[in-house]
Amino acid sequence: MRNNLAERRLDRQWTQADLARALGVSRQTVISIERGRFDPSLPLAFLIAQTFGCRIEDVFTSENTTLIHRP
Amino acid sequence: MLYVNAEEYSVSRKMREDRIVNDQTAKRPAPVVHHLLAIAFGTILTIAVSLVVAASNSDDFWLAAGIGALCAAYPSVSLGAWIFVSNHTVTRDLRGEESVELIWMKQAASGAFLDVLIATLAVTVVLMIGRFDVDALPVLLILIGLSAADAGLRYLVSRYRAMR
Repeated sequence: MRNNLAERRLDRQWTQADLARALGVSRQTVISIERGRFDPSLPLAFLIAQTFGCRIEDVFTSENTTLIHRP
Repeated sequence: MLYVNAEEYSVSRKMREDRIVNDQTAKRPAPVVHHLLAIAFGTILTIAVSLVVAASNSDDFWLAAGIGALCAAYPSVSLGAWIFVSNHTVTRDLRGEESVELIWMKQAASGAFLDVLIATLAVTVVLMIGRFDVDALPVLLILIGLSAADAGLRYLVSRYRAMR
């Protein structure tokens, strides 16, 4: 899966540690998700979407779908 | 800070609340008395283990007690630190079960298990065909050591691949 988590995080001027604290996970988890090395579970994906006030599909898309970032 | 809508305000408020919760579990020094409790716990457990080891080797009581104490000291004090100190010094993730480290650990454990299974099968076949006679204890100890090292190495490799 692809995601625009890093862009959304930077829009809010949060560090990876800030986002990790908000999500209740480790910073390495945030790094892995942002780099596309780790696909989060559905509950965590919902929480990420909720944190940024958007839908899951606004943050995560499949590899062959174009991702449009609406800040 | 201006919020575009009520939903964003709600999310930001939740983040502040989460931060407050996390600040309560944030890393901070443990009180000295908790370090003393950890050392006392470790000392008592070490003495208990060394006495049990010595009692089972009454011919060399003090030697056995010394070896038992040397083997038990580090794990005992570590256990004491885990019980009394780690609550203050270790930051716990609210949703640790969602963290990537758990995935790496599961991958490492399952990979190491398969390695041990294959190694055991291969060694067993070689021993059966060659009709070798070996002591089981050293072989089992080597197997335990290798499986632990294998799992640790696999975890580090998973971590390196995800972080690079």
